[in-house]
Amino acid sequence: MGSKAERRIGLLFVLPAIMLVGLFRLFPLAWGFVLSFTDSNGFGRSSFVGFDNYVAIAHDPVFRDSIENTLILIATLPVWVMLPLLLAILIHQGVPGGRIFRAVYFFPAVLSTVIIGSIFNVVLRFDGSLNAFLKAVGLVPVDWLGNGATALASLIAVQLWATFGMSLLIFMAGLSTVSTELIEAARLDGARPLQIWIHVIVPALRPIIEFVAVVTTIGVLTSMFGLIYVLTAGGPGTATTLPEFLIWLEQGKMNQPGYAAAISMVLFVILGGLAYVQIRIMSRNANL
Amino acid sequence: MAVLAKRERRLLWVAAVPMAVLALSCVYPVFFALNNALKTNKGYILDRFGLVTAPTLDNFVTAWQRARLGEYFVNSVITTAGAVLLLLAVSSLAGFALAMLRFPFRRFLFLVILASLMIPVQVVLVPFYRTIIALDLVNTRIGLIISYTAFFLPFSVYMMTAFYSRLPRELVEAARMDGASILQIWWNVMLPMGKPALITLGILNTLYCWNDVLISLLVLQKERTVMVGIAALRGEYTTNVPLLTAGIVLAAAPIVIIYVFFQRQIVNGIAVGAVKG
Repeated sequence: MGSKAERRIGLLFVLPAIMLVGLFRLFPLAWGFVLSFTDSNGFGRSSFVGFDNYVAIAHDPVFRDSIENTLILIATLPVWVMLPLLLAILIHQGVPGGRIFRAVYFFPAVLSTVIIGSIFNVVLRFDGSLNAFLKAVGLVPVDWLGNGATALASLIAVQLWATFGMSLLIFMAGLSTVSTELIEAARLDGARPLQIWIHVIVPALRPIIEFVAVVTTIGVLTSMFGLIYVLTAGGPGTATTLPEFLIWLEQGKMNQPGYAAAISMVLFVILGGLAYVQIRIMSRNANL
Repeated sequence: MAVLAKRERRLLWVAAVPMAVLALSCVYPVFFALNNALKTNKGYILDRFGLVTAPTLDNFVTAWQRARLGEYFVNSVITTAGAVLLLLAVSSLAGFALAMLRFPFRRFLFLVILASLMIPVQVVLVPFYRTIIALDLVNTRIGLIISYTAFFLPFSVYMMTAFYSRLPRELVEAARMDGASILQIWWNVMLPMGKPALITLGILNTLYCWNDVLISLLVLQKERTVMVGIAALRGEYTTNVPLLTAGIVLAAAPIVIIYVFFQRQIVNGIAVGAVKG
């Protein structure tokens, strides 16, 4: 096979996808790269300034805060992976009500971050439901979203709560491929549940744990915009500003796109390394 | 599961308690929104936690009309439906070609599409915005449809390619023997055979497009989609929680309905896409 017609039509069929991706993703990426080395002001004239924008962002306290917030966020990643893993194993082992749990845990993940953020804003703000409840039971109210430390913690907790069901599903799919004979054999040898988890299940799931860790990291760097936008707007101060939100703030100031582009490039480099690993896993799976 | 030791079963019962609490917290927001949406503003302030006693639909009417969520809803329906149809058409064409046809640069083109997964909208925000301005697509629904398609496409192409590459290539050859053109093979053979993957992708992309804020904030600035409308509602009516929650219920309703009806496809689609390819 591979007739002349097939060769031509094969290319033709991929063309719409390539054009869309090329025009709206690859071309803007190249443009952004060039832009990041210019002092473009958005109105025609711009000149090449070398690494000036990069030097400037290195000295920008807001950018530094956003990186610091990212590092704090990344430090919490073990929880993002281990919590759904633990829950998936419990469901797999037949916890009572497991099937209901599986469906319900995933539910917040289908809701928009704007929806979740708006609801939690009503719950967490100083005159909100949580504080009303705390006062009612005689505890001290906390300014969850107005205080720097608790604002970031609240943001992280809400995002974790909203997305752990997704990782749980992936772990469940992985667990269904773990040989039950292996588990049975270990059980017959007198292994206790915890030993089975640590020595049989977790090693068998290793590739999936890696996959979830990578996808979650990319997720926390790229999918919190909606939540930040309605829950904290990056504040108070810069307490909940992450790079992706900072880029949004900078692009709003249309007079310095070169600067915003430079921040984008830094985010791209961070994401690029992570995504490279993810794509290797995915292209291995597509067996082309 | 095989016979479990008594101790082990007791442990699972103990674990079920915190798990049930977590499960309750996952459905609580919908209850919270619905319960408060039915109250009057005064009723809410007087009793935040109580079940609604005298339910009213006024908030829904106000959100729909005065807060213009009705208009935004129409924008969301049109752009989501348009983008999902375009996504399915483009990705099934590309997936069919990449998996089943033999042509030059096949592998390379697949890798280019897959690699563009690395470019989320945040990374190209500024130049992407300038591109759609240059193409005169800002503030148009078609502009948003095309933007959604461009950003949600790589995953769909990946899924379709993975799906079709597991079908035998003889399907194509047999149909060609019968004199079908390749376009006819796509329409008459590949689309029907690809139905399970198309349904999953249709649902997932509907979720992504309907729930998006960032791309639609950028592209549709004068008109709004319903999610951007909710974000604005939160800013404009900060003290009117019942009105906000009524808007939330309206905006989330289509997604909740889809989830209830298609839960299996959503769950399987995500698991398959992530683990098995």
